[in-house]
Amino acid sequence: MRPLLLLAMLAALALPCAALAVGPGGAIPGVAAPRLADPSQRVEFAKLRGDVVYVDFWASWCVPCRESMPALDSLFRMYHARGFRVVGVNKDVTTGDALRFLQRVKVSFPLVADRDDVVAKAFDVQAMPSGYLVDRKGVVRYVHLGFTADTEAQLRTEIEKLLGSGA
Amino acid sequence: MRLAVALLAAAVLAGACTPVAPYQRGYLARPDMAMEPSDAGTAKALEKVYPAKEAARGGASIGGGGCGCN
Repeated sequence: MRPLLLLAMLAALALPCAALAVGPGGAIPGVAAPRLADPSQRVEFAKLRGDVVYVDFWASWCVPCRESMPALDSLFRMYHARGFRVVGVNKDVTTGDALRFLQRVKVSFPLVADRDDVVAKAFDVQAMPSGYLVDRKGVVRYVHLGFTADTEAQLRTEIEKLLGSGA
Repeated sequence: MRLAVALLAAAVLAGACTPVAPYQRGYLARPDMAMEPSDAGTAKALEKVYPAKEAARGGASIGGGGCGCN
């Protein structure tokens, strides 16, 4: 067998594993997910255009999420009036786990469920939590993998920049 | 040719491995996935199932075993 043909076959086999992670400069995926509190309502990500949006992937089993969720809630309350929105995509196995977490950590921004992994796969989430800051035109501008003490301050600067630039 | 077939077979078998994505770790965080059972009920159930699963009944407390007949 020719080496080139063999290489092509191996590449074809590896293709389904290729990651298509959403990164800075990429468009927000046009997926939709049901609201955690009311599954009859769906949030369509493409329709969030016009506001600065932070899409956050979180779960009750994710330890840094205990820090990130209150921080995001505080940022949401601070900048909501200026056109900043947060959408929390829950990655728990059951809704019950998410609701138990939310009894302890209360947030005011909208939350969606992603039981079938459609949203997580569309973003190709690489860590938990992961956050995607999207500008008013629907373009992902910043990606945050994990959440540390510095992330909140960094996010504040980025949000201010996007809200102020009109992009 | 043999090398090509071996490589192809390895590639096909490698494709059978399913990595757990970071957002799927909730399944690994389930209490029944823990190495050490988190409650007495699960511990009892595991204690009962383990010898049969490993073909070593009686291995934990009774002499003999391995035949699955006691």
